[in-house]
Amino acid sequence: MEFNNNIPIYLQIIDNIKQDIVVGKLKEGQKMPSVRELAGTLKVNPNTIQRVYQELDREKITFTKRGMGTYVTEEEKTISLLKEEISKKIILDFVEGMNKLGFSNKELINTLKEYL
Amino acid sequence: MMTLLKYEIYRRWRWLVFRYAALIIIGTILLNRVSSPAYQYEFIGESMGKFALTSLAIFIIIIVEGINMLKEDLFEECGYLTFTIPKKGRTILASKLVLLFLQLSFWTIISIWFGSIFFSKLPYHEIVQIETQINFYFFPTVLFILTAFFNFVLMIHFSLTLTKTLLVNKRYSGLLSVGIFILLAYLIEKVYYGPFLNQIKHISIEIGSRSNINLLSGGYTAVFLNIILVAIFFTATAYLLENKINI
Amino acid sequence: MEQILKATQLSKYFYQKKALDKVDLTIEKGKIYGILGPNGGGKSTFLKIAAGLLKPSQGEITIDNEKPGVYTKSIVSYLPETNYLYKWMKIKDALNFFKDLYADFDTERARESLKFMELEEEEKVTSLSKGMMGRLKLTLALSRKSKVYLLDEPLNGIDPISREKIITSILDSYSEKTSILICSHLIYYIEKLLDYVFFLSEGRIILSGNAEELRNKRGMSIDKLFQEVF
Repeated sequence: MEFNNNIPIYLQIIDNIKQDIVVGKLKEGQKMPSVRELAGTLKVNPNTIQRVYQELDREKITFTKRGMGTYVTEEEKTISLLKEEISKKIILDFVEGMNKLGFSNKELINTLKEYL
Repeated sequence: MMTLLKYEIYRRWRWLVFRYAALIIIGTILLNRVSSPAYQYEFIGESMGKFALTSLAIFIIIIVEGINMLKEDLFEECGYLTFTIPKKGRTILASKLVLLFLQLSFWTIISIWFGSIFFSKLPYHEIVQIETQINFYFFPTVLFILTAFFNFVLMIHFSLTLTKTLLVNKRYSGLLSVGIFILLAYLIEKVYYGPFLNQIKHISIEIGSRSNINLLSGGYTAVFLNIILVAIFFTATAYLLENKINI
Repeated sequence: MEQILKATQLSKYFYQKKALDKVDLTIEKGKIYGILGPNGGGKSTFLKIAAGLLKPSQGEITIDNEKPGVYTKSIVSYLPETNYLYKWMKIKDALNFFKDLYADFDTERARESLKFMELEEEEKVTSLSKGMMGRLKLTLALSRKSKVYLLDEPLNGIDPISREKIITSILDSYSEKTSILICSHLIYYIEKLLDYVFFLSEGRIILSGNAEELRNKRGMSIDKLFQEVF
């Protein structure tokens, strides 16, 4: 995974994991790598990974069983909400970006139709 | 300390074996030459001289090595290793001095062993002449020389260590070390030996009409003084190594 | 979090030069710290004092509540920038030496690490390339189960492959009971490893903080921040 060192690393890892879950790379109920394992794979500080898992737990996207590890949520609703959340953000970024270029919202829809 | 001593020996064991083997082998060869039935007096003198030179050379090597044992740790990069291991300054110093002591002892035993055999080959009248002169002073003289040189090495160690606490860069360290050493040697000569000067006798040994050996020997008093100096310099150097040096 | 190293008004003077000027610094267990700054800024000096090689001119430093001495040397693993191994050693001699002198040395781990670093035990220390020597020094330093690791420029002059191995080894050494202090001016490669950074220049700490917070607040990488500050 390539990192942008200009923004907090833990945020980037969280986004990445969320994507993986929505896309299906990480299945419902799947066990996440341990803090050490993931830190070693990504070559980042273990405390950063700790924070990632804490955040994900807080958002109920994952749950941690003491002494056993961290697991992806089994709640389908959570995952579909996540999908919505991520897609909304992509759309928002797209609209913002197009607006910046000077496209009005109507022009924007037409361009998109043409492209697709 | 035994661990450090082990490594001091291990790192140069080949050299150690080589130098004492060389001394023993050369001594044996020279002895063989003078043991043949038809020997001449000149031959003995020459062989003894050769052995003495070899012995002296090995002695100088031992002393120089003894000095360098501490010098490299103080002034070279390996000092970073020596002074971050969890051992006290006195332990580090002691391991080097123990090896020096063992070497000096070993050298003395071998040299005296061969020396006495050489002497026994001399014509009778020569032996009597020499024996009567050196017998009384022999043992304390040997001890005096050993303790004096042991102290010599320690004084150099102290000078080097003191230099390392005062100076940080390497440039003037040689000069300062020499300066400190000379100052110490002068002070000791004047202040320390001064009051006891009457105890120190000059003795002269003549071998035939050819050679003279002058020995400085104060008997056991001088040996005792040297041991005290050794204790003083050891303590001072160990203290500096533990508490004051900057590597 | 527990403190393991504490420097109070620590100063070191060399003739007229102030290598360290009243530095206050605390290191906690279970974190990886970066001491960053330009060459000559005091980073190495700080590490050497903590390692017991230099004596403070003023101020105090304690490790596990003890002043630098035999005890701290037994719990601190120091990796200097220099080639500090005895020149007569082969790699196996270095292993044995560390095993004999450090109670916390893990020979098994060292051997595994040597394999990982692709180093042969029969090699003479003097015949090692810069990259190999860097990997060997790191192997020796990290194979000790110490409370504090002081790494002085571990990535200097290291080729990219060795660099990755070294970073992996550093991460392997991490535990909640240990602290790692890394001095480097090659920030780009290590900044993802760091919990907390100190910027040291002309003997003073001019900036310090949690790495992620700094990224957030300043909107730039630690590397960029470093370039900006210096």
